[in-house]
Amino acid sequence: MNAPATPLTVSRFRSTAASVRLSVLQFVADPQWLIPSMIAPVIFGIVAYQLVLGSGPYFLVYAILGAGMMSMWGQTLYGSGWATGQDRVFGTLEPTLQAPTPYIYVVLGRILWNVVSGLVGGAIVYGVVVAESGQLPAVVNPLLFVVLFLFVMVTLASVGVILSAVYVYTRFAGFIQNIGEFAFYVGTGCMFPVIFLPWWTNPVSLVFPPTWALDALRYGSIPGYQGFAWGFGWDLVGAVATMTAYLVLAGLIFHRVERHVLEVGTLGDY
Amino acid sequence: MTPEPVIEAQAIRRVFESRKGFLFTERSRTEALRGVDLRVDPGEIFGLLGPNGAGKTTLTKILSTLLLPTSGQARVLGIDVARHPQAVRPRIGLVLGGERGLYNRISARENLRYFADLFGLLPSDRDRRIQEVLDRVGLTEAADRRVEEYSRGMKQKLHLARGILHRPELLFLDEPTIGLDPKSARETRKLIRSLVSDGVTIFLTTHYMFEAEELCQRLAILSKGRIVARDTVAGLRRLVGGDTTVEVEAYGFEDSEIERLRQLPGVGRILSEEFGPRLRLTLRSNSSELNAGSVRAALGAAHPDLTVRERRTVLEDVYLDLVEEEAS
Repeated sequence: MNAPATPLTVSRFRSTAASVRLSVLQFVADPQWLIPSMIAPVIFGIVAYQLVLGSGPYFLVYAILGAGMMSMWGQTLYGSGWATGQDRVFGTLEPTLQAPTPYIYVVLGRILWNVVSGLVGGAIVYGVVVAESGQLPAVVNPLLFVVLFLFVMVTLASVGVILSAVYVYTRFAGFIQNIGEFAFYVGTGCMFPVIFLPWWTNPVSLVFPPTWALDALRYGSIPGYQGFAWGFGWDLVGAVATMTAYLVLAGLIFHRVERHVLEVGTLGDY
Repeated sequence: MTPEPVIEAQAIRRVFESRKGFLFTERSRTEALRGVDLRVDPGEIFGLLGPNGAGKTTLTKILSTLLLPTSGQARVLGIDVARHPQAVRPRIGLVLGGERGLYNRISARENLRYFADLFGLLPSDRDRRIQEVLDRVGLTEAADRRVEEYSRGMKQKLHLARGILHRPELLFLDEPTIGLDPKSARETRKLIRSLVSDGVTIFLTTHYMFEAEELCQRLAILSKGRIVARDTVAGLRRLVGGDTTVEVEAYGFEDSEIERLRQLPGVGRILSEEFGPRLRLTLRSNSSELNAGSVRAALGAAHPDLTVRERRTVLEDVYLDLVEEEAS
């Protein structure tokens, strides 16, 4: 009566793929997702363009980065944690955790989808800003810009994995996320460079991988940009290092969190 | 030789601790299970009965790896559930039922496909198996409709389909027919029996006594976190006094009359219950000599309003006797 045996890694990879598929199906089935993924980027693009209008030769890049990050932030980071919160509300967290696949593989699938939909948001912002200004942004190296944009998404996703673990840990994760959302958004430099913030906030900002990646993105796309003194290369190193630390931490946390919720018996709470 | 048990639980205790309030927290502690021992053999339908809050779902969740015991040990299919839950999960199915636990915005087929992938079904087997379970629970026609359009009964069937999707050796069913109409409930019971024919062992919790009586080879009654009895239905009947039940009702009885009833063949404990001004005595016995006639004869003609009813002891009697005894 046993299910046909599947090699463990293949099975886990398929669980991640199944999670991506489920996310897509839920996205298509639920019109409310149109707001953060399609409509919000349009609004962000229009507002950001107006804010930076006439502020130098690279104002279009600033507008795209600011609004794009704002859009991707919501999609990638917030969406990843929120999906786990939804599992609690639907009561699907219990059957999902009762499956043999470790939950982190399910979370990874959701994050992958959120990265894709965040990129779509970024592309919409780009389109809106270009349409509004009637010109293409002066990007020094378009290929580098795209690569770094994607890199920022991945660093945001690494924070999303940790947030998902918090959502498994407690039903109050949404509350915690809402409190920290704006501080994180400003503190990591999503809207404007972190260097504009008081010096004493910088150590806190540097704990987060997107701070490094966003600074690198600005260095790579805006000539004359004055970010962290250590420059582009060390930004990349810092981003990779912190992101790796986050992913390792996430692996450890998820194992512990899964164990913890079995101990306290709060999986069914919402 | 005694077969290797499918479930073996020893001295399972589970304490829930909760906190209320933010600044001034108030802690509370509930002992949901207080030393449960259990053994379920392969191929049987084992029933767990108990009132609300007795600890049935807690025990089910512990055995199905969704909760850790505070102390004690549980082995499922020979594996320690607390130490190696990942090894147990592919081999068991769990049906918690209810309105929640499903992705409502997508179809039943998509729900099943998602969980089939999480349970590691091979793609070559997956779609065929999904169709098989949909047929088996009678959801084929509605398989591509969104779950949010389903009735309670259809959702219950979908829970069941998900539970058996990966061909588990042991299936936990937590009140599987609750909320179902009689026809659907009957179909579900039929399905449960057919699963046993396929070699699946069933661990069933239910509130419906007739269901337990109809399905289960052995039963345990859980009350206030303790197993107060465990046996076959016939064994449980013997435990509370026997196969025959006689109910006697009148406007009160003298002590001497109750004593005369106690002297009747095989009668042990007599239960009394008030119904407004009337008193009902319930006598149970294994002896065929206890019947309506012998009871009337023992009481004589003192009660013109006397009603006597003779019937077979049913599981509900056993359950109520044992649970009330534990409560008192």
